[in-house]
Amino acid sequence: MAAPWANTYYACPCSELSAAAPPNVSNGGTPLELPGSFDNGEEGSTFDPHNPRANYSLYPLDNLLYCDECDAIRCPRCWIEEVINWYCPSCMFEVPTSAIKSDGNRCSRNCYNCPLCTSPLTISSVASPRPVEDSLKPSDAARPQESYLLQCQYCDWTSLDVGIQLDRPTKITEQLVRLRKSKDTKTDPISVSNREETFNNLTNFYKEELQGSTESQTPFGNSPYNSPANLARIMSLYGGVSHTALKKSREKPQPMREASSHSQGLLVYTADKSDAEEEILQRLKELGWNGTTTGEQRQMAPVNNDARFLGQLWPVATALRTRRGRRCRSCRQFLTRPDPKMGSIRYKIRLLALNFIPRLSLKPLNAIPPPSNPAFRLTLDDSPQPLLQPFTPLQYVLTIRNPIFEKIKVSLATPDTTPGKVASKVTILCPSFDVGPAGDIWDEALGSSTTTPSAANDGGRKAAMASLTGSTTDTDRQPEAGKIWEKTRNSTSVILEIVPGSLKPPSRIVTLTKQEREEQAPRQDDDRLEIAVYVRVQWETHEEGPEAGLGKRDAERKMPSGEAKVAKELAYWCVLDVGKIADV
Amino acid sequence: MSRPAAAARRTHKGEYIETDTGNKISRKSHIDGKQHIMLGGRTVVMAGVQMRGDLCRVAEKSSDGGAEKEGPTTAIAVGSVDVEIMVQRGTIISTNSVLRPPMRLSRGQMTCYPMRMGDNIFIGPGSHISAASISSHVYIGANCVLSPFCVIKESCKILPNTVVPPHMIVPPGSIVAGRPGRIIGEVGDGWGQGGGGGEGEEWVEGGDLRPLVRSIK
Ligand SMILES: [Zn+2]
Ligand SMILES: [Zn+2]
Ligand SMILES: [Zn+2]
Ligand SMILES: [Zn+2]
Repeated sequence: MAAPWANTYYACPCSELSAAAPPNVSNGGTPLELPGSFDNGEEGSTFDPHNPRANYSLYPLDNLLYCDECDAIRCPRCWIEEVINWYCPSCMFEVPTSAIKSDGNRCSRNCYNCPLCTSPLTISSVASPRPVEDSLKPSDAARPQESYLLQCQYCDWTSLDVGIQLDRPTKITEQLVRLRKSKDTKTDPISVSNREETFNNLTNFYKEELQGSTESQTPFGNSPYNSPANLARIMSLYGGVSHTALKKSREKPQPMREASSHSQGLLVYTADKSDAEEEILQRLKELGWNGTTTGEQRQMAPVNNDARFLGQLWPVATALRTRRGRRCRSCRQFLTRPDPKMGSIRYKIRLLALNFIPRLSLKPLNAIPPPSNPAFRLTLDDSPQPLLQPFTPLQYVLTIRNPIFEKIKVSLATPDTTPGKVASKVTILCPSFDVGPAGDIWDEALGSSTTTPSAANDGGRKAAMASLTGSTTDTDRQPEAGKIWEKTRNSTSVILEIVPGSLKPPSRIVTLTKQEREEQAPRQDDDRLEIAVYVRVQWETHEEGPEAGLGKRDAERKMPSGEAKVAKELAYWCVLDVGKIADV
Repeated sequence: MSRPAAAARRTHKGEYIETDTGNKISRKSHIDGKQHIMLGGRTVVMAGVQMRGDLCRVAEKSSDGGAEKEGPTTAIAVGSVDVEIMVQRGTIISTNSVLRPPMRLSRGQMTCYPMRMGDNIFIGPGSHISAASISSHVYIGANCVLSPFCVIKESCKILPNTVVPPHMIVPPGSIVAGRPGRIIGEVGDGWGQGGGGGEGEEWVEGGDLRPLVRSIK
């Protein structure tokens, strides 16, 4: 039967969930028992892809990095980010960090987004024969100069909807700030400037109060210790007690004065706003639910935090974005570092996991026609991925590709039945094998572009052709336990046998309690057959270091005599998403 | 088709007409205004695709006749259009997609603007493209709408069924989804890397699409 294409996700071993090694493979380099599986009896030792927390440790390989100092995979949880530059995604201008600190994280040029739908706003001139406007302002004489508006070309919101009309098509931010100020002054009895003044009064008052209270109460009157900063330094040098704690213990608490007038920054709440509230209620009745803003719209920008009605929404300045470098959390070296020049898409440093750790891929054996990569759907009427039939054995080719220039020794392990509600049986026919080193990049390029395959590639090519055409001598070949299926220069394929389990729980004679039934009810994605494979890789590299000379006893690679060898090891969980199981 | 001089020749009686520069044009595609379309090589135009090269700016007859020679008359340019250095890399326009150069009212006249596309772009089936430009290594899922004058920078991924609003500029390395489209994330640092696998996995999203171009027959 047709079988789907599988996706692969890799678990970074930095979390507890994904770090657990299955018992059989964690001890030394002893090869695994033949079926390539181990008992599922030990709880917590296997990685369950259906665990809700698994989502936080599984990544596609191109999302992971690798620290070559620590010899470890690095994921968003175990790298730290460092902002290289801030820029506006709309005008692509870089904003210096000093400007971020003073002006905030929004573009101060002419970039604005629609407050309703987030699309970018465009500036257009108000067309003179605008019937709406004419009917609104019939008496208005012809304008001597053109005026402009901000317009969303996605949802047709315009700034005229909230009464914003601009005199110039440039310096939008400046104009909007001015309009906002005048609007606030109009709608709010306490104007903005008044509010700012009040706030300044208040902060000044309390600063003075604090100052006064410290000065008058410093116990070391005329001594060189009377400066609070000096005192604090001395205290932290000689005493375990902090400066403030010490002060508290010595001094009697003095009641501090509170602001009591407008000059001190006090603003008394007056309850005479009942009219305004009535008005809001009235408007709510008129406009209804559709006239009010959504939480998302209010949260999009501080300027709209208090907007109750759509008519109060203000254009949103485009939020800046960052370009970031990533450092290893433990050794702090850069793992990726983009070129600081804006507009450049190059990297100065980029240590990708896919250049360091073996890649797994799973494809059905003898599928005719070969499945297509769902990412590259070429036609719309491609049938959706076929479902897996329960209890129907399937054979897959699991290919392990080696990206490094050393020969690697790979051990695979997987629970013989998948954890979770749907127990599918999985068997790796050959769980332990070698994968050859990756060649020169030119070899690879030549190998893939020339029509005559090189000798090393021959077997793989033939097999691939066989699986494509499905009609050569190789089709007779049967997968054998303990045997490698095929091998190319830097990849080795083995056969994986899968028997999908049934989505229905096994029938029981005893009636279930309500709780048991709830536990058994299928959850979302329970029908996804995902196989967690524990991959353990061992290799040797010539390196000078304290470990030099610790060669592995089972080293097969012939090294030039006298060269130091270092044994390295890497292990991680990998999840193969095989497809959905049919509910029959 | 590709360059004015390049004559299309029949390689075999398949669905595709292959040009000298390796472009594969489906016999079931609908292409208008061929003289205004430039394909940089190894570009696949699949069945049901509509390319509206006829929607090009009318060459101005007035003063500067020199401008007629370059830019303005090209409606759709796919692949590196630097004719001296022809980069032979593939872009795939999947079935039933529509490529329509953007246009807008300018001084009372509807004016068409050219649409520029880089290398190794994948356009999913049933998408409607009116972008001003799409840079290299961009992956566009099925049934997307790229509204007029949007700009997609390098290495972006547009998820299926996204509507990129007009004039939106998508910065490099963004993942866009939704209606209207918003930037919902960033692609991994290894975007487009890691091809060169076995049969059928040689191509990755945002990567070198030449093997996929080769496989389409
Ligand atoms: Zn991690
Ligand atoms: Zn901007
Ligand atoms: Zn809008
Ligand atoms: Zn490190």
